[in-house]
Amino acid sequence: MNINRAAFKENMTAYLFIAPQFILFFLFLVYPIFEGIRLSLFKINYQQETFVGLDNYIKLFSDPVFLKATMNTVIFVIFIVALTVFFGIFVASAVFDKNAKYVSFIRGSYYIPVMVSMVVMSMIWGFLLNPANGLIPYITREVGLPTVNFLGNKDYVLPVIIFVTFATNVGQAIILYIAAMIGVPNDLFEAAEIDGASRMQVIRKILIPSVKPMTIYITIINIIAVLKIFVVIQLLTGGGPNNASTTLMYFLYNNAFKYNQLGIASAVGVIMFTITLILSVPQLRAMLKND
Amino acid sequence: MFKKNLFKGFLMMAIASLLLSACSSGDKGSKGTEKGEDGKDKVQLTLWLTPQWEGVLDASEEGANHDSFFKHAAERFSEEYDEYDVDVKVEVVASDQRDELLNVNLNGGTPPDIFYESVFAMGEYAHRGALVPLDDAIDEDAKSDIGEAYWDNVTFGDEVYFYPFSHMPGTLSYNADMFKAAGLEEYIGDEDGIQTWTLDEYNTILETLKTDLPKDEYTNAFPMSLYALNDQGDTWNLAYLRMFGNEFFDEDGNIILDDANGAKAAEWLKHIYDEGLTNPGAESVSSNDTIAMFQNQQLAINFTNSVLFNNMKADMESGQVPEFDARLANIPSESGDPLTFTYVTGSAVFDSGDETKIKVAKDFVKFYSSDEELVKSSKNGVPVRSSVAEQYADENPLFAAFDENAEYVFSFTGNVPGYSQLRQVLYPELQALYTGEKTPEEVVKSYQEKGNVIIQESKEDSVIFNK
Repeated sequence: MNINRAAFKENMTAYLFIAPQFILFFLFLVYPIFEGIRLSLFKINYQQETFVGLDNYIKLFSDPVFLKATMNTVIFVIFIVALTVFFGIFVASAVFDKNAKYVSFIRGSYYIPVMVSMVVMSMIWGFLLNPANGLIPYITREVGLPTVNFLGNKDYVLPVIIFVTFATNVGQAIILYIAAMIGVPNDLFEAAEIDGASRMQVIRKILIPSVKPMTIYITIINIIAVLKIFVVIQLLTGGGPNNASTTLMYFLYNNAFKYNQLGIASAVGVIMFTITLILSVPQLRAMLKND
Repeated sequence: MFKKNLFKGFLMMAIASLLLSACSSGDKGSKGTEKGEDGKDKVQLTLWLTPQWEGVLDASEEGANHDSFFKHAAERFSEEYDEYDVDVKVEVVASDQRDELLNVNLNGGTPPDIFYESVFAMGEYAHRGALVPLDDAIDEDAKSDIGEAYWDNVTFGDEVYFYPFSHMPGTLSYNADMFKAAGLEEYIGDEDGIQTWTLDEYNTILETLKTDLPKDEYTNAFPMSLYALNDQGDTWNLAYLRMFGNEFFDEDGNIILDDANGAKAAEWLKHIYDEGLTNPGAESVSSNDTIAMFQNQQLAINFTNSVLFNNMKADMESGQVPEFDARLANIPSESGDPLTFTYVTGSAVFDSGDETKIKVAKDFVKFYSSDEELVKSSKNGVPVRSSVAEQYADENPLFAAFDENAEYVFSFTGNVPGYSQLRQVLYPELQALYTGEKTPEEVVKSYQEKGNVIIQESKEDSVIFNK
């Protein structure tokens, strides 16, 4: 007991140093999670909260819009993450060993859209694709081509959103891959050159395995980011047509702020949190293993 | 051992944070007053409004803005009010962000004290118990000067929740220049009137505009606006669904759109869309887009209300938008009787939990809704007060036209609870109609089913229904 007290006294200064960060962490990150879980078990209106058990979850799983939102989110995650990783490796492996100025130019070019706000990007795409007064439909009408409503056709709306999000985000993956590839030891490439390996073989057998930790990292952060995809949906399609482009985050937003169904929205939040947690386990394990 | 201690640590921190946040939210409803310079207690009020008319009396004033009237009224109230030293903060919020902002602020315990808006969009908050009744702020003079129909519109249960100020009849607006260019002179109505067409005439107009509008003069132009991106401007969509005689709500406030007339109306919408008689891409076009297109003369017919119409005319005069001959018309119906509705606009006071603020907010609402000079601003819409309507009848001949239309007015909300949520169900169904995902019959059936579930659930939660 005395030892514990002495140890505590000794470490007091350290505890005090980390206290502000810990208090903020619990107040703004841990507490909302617990509060979200609690709210997901209640029906909430302005004047009272009624405990309803798992009713909100049961309601959710019988709601076709929620199921569609879940399916859309899964589609976005798979395609956007796969495209980002594939294209990131493609561009980075093509340029990483070239002239430094050229590499900087490529990095800068792809990174510009990442720096531009997603709101601005979505609005620009909106101006281009608006079926009534947008630039692209206008040009296709003028030249007599068949017009396609890219934002209002349920077969095209998902690919359009995938493309817009991918184009905006891919710069970050390229930067990270180039940095990782530059860090691969030169002797590996020299050995491959002596053995007469082709460029494709170097990429497949040396580069891709060497940047595997980076691939895991990019995959995880992109999965988490795409799970929360919202701005582009809100500004480009409003979840339409007929909920064809609704995602979990957009569904949550609508329930919380438009329909005032806080209980349902909290239940969606808890489900999204659980999915993110499960997906983060491999990354956490990899990090702990390294330590 | 380490894991156990770590868990204990987490738990302690979680409890501490819970206590902290509980303490921080414990001062909701505390008095918002302190002493001002003149010895009177200071009260700060927040007034929100969605964009209404510009200027104090009208949009021709220099620097006219959407908040000009309320800022002017607040200044005068501060000078003349002798009980408290009042400071009013006026904020204009976007119509399509209204519910998001209100829900966030209500759940956070920081609602505005006053909200000026169309009653139909705010009735929901009365049902949820977020508003205080205003019966004690309404005197006999107001009751006799404002017609019975307007009081009915703002009464929920037995109590008045909104102080009516003006109303905005909803109609169509058309570009008479485009009509002339397409050879449709015979269908152009009086400049100061509201033209009524039969449905057959209306169909002819749309067809002719499509074929005969000179393409070199009006590039990328379409006969009529159609939109379903979101809930904005959905009252006109609701009106179109009544075109073939459907009554929409039954006596118990349930939706009855799923019948032959309802399906016929949905079919008509799909028909004019497929035939290219409207702008393309209605499923992803918003009402705001069509307003811009009408002003750019890319649409010959669009929706409007009296305030939108006046603002557009003012913008034309000031050179902000190209000038053209814009006139009003009714939404046609199969029976020949026009379809018309009106938005009563007025002020609601939120239950902030602070008796002083509620009292002062009510006094302020009463002040600008009854002051002889200030109520003149209601001429920007159509005044609800007979005294003001009579005063401006010569200046604005449309007041008489709106008055003639009054017998055809229908209640588009049916005063049902859950109306805000009900609006969120309509546009996805219309999107499904325009994209061909559902047939007209399926659309009206699906809308009725989903809508009635919302109405039923909202009735169970309504403080007014469960009094």
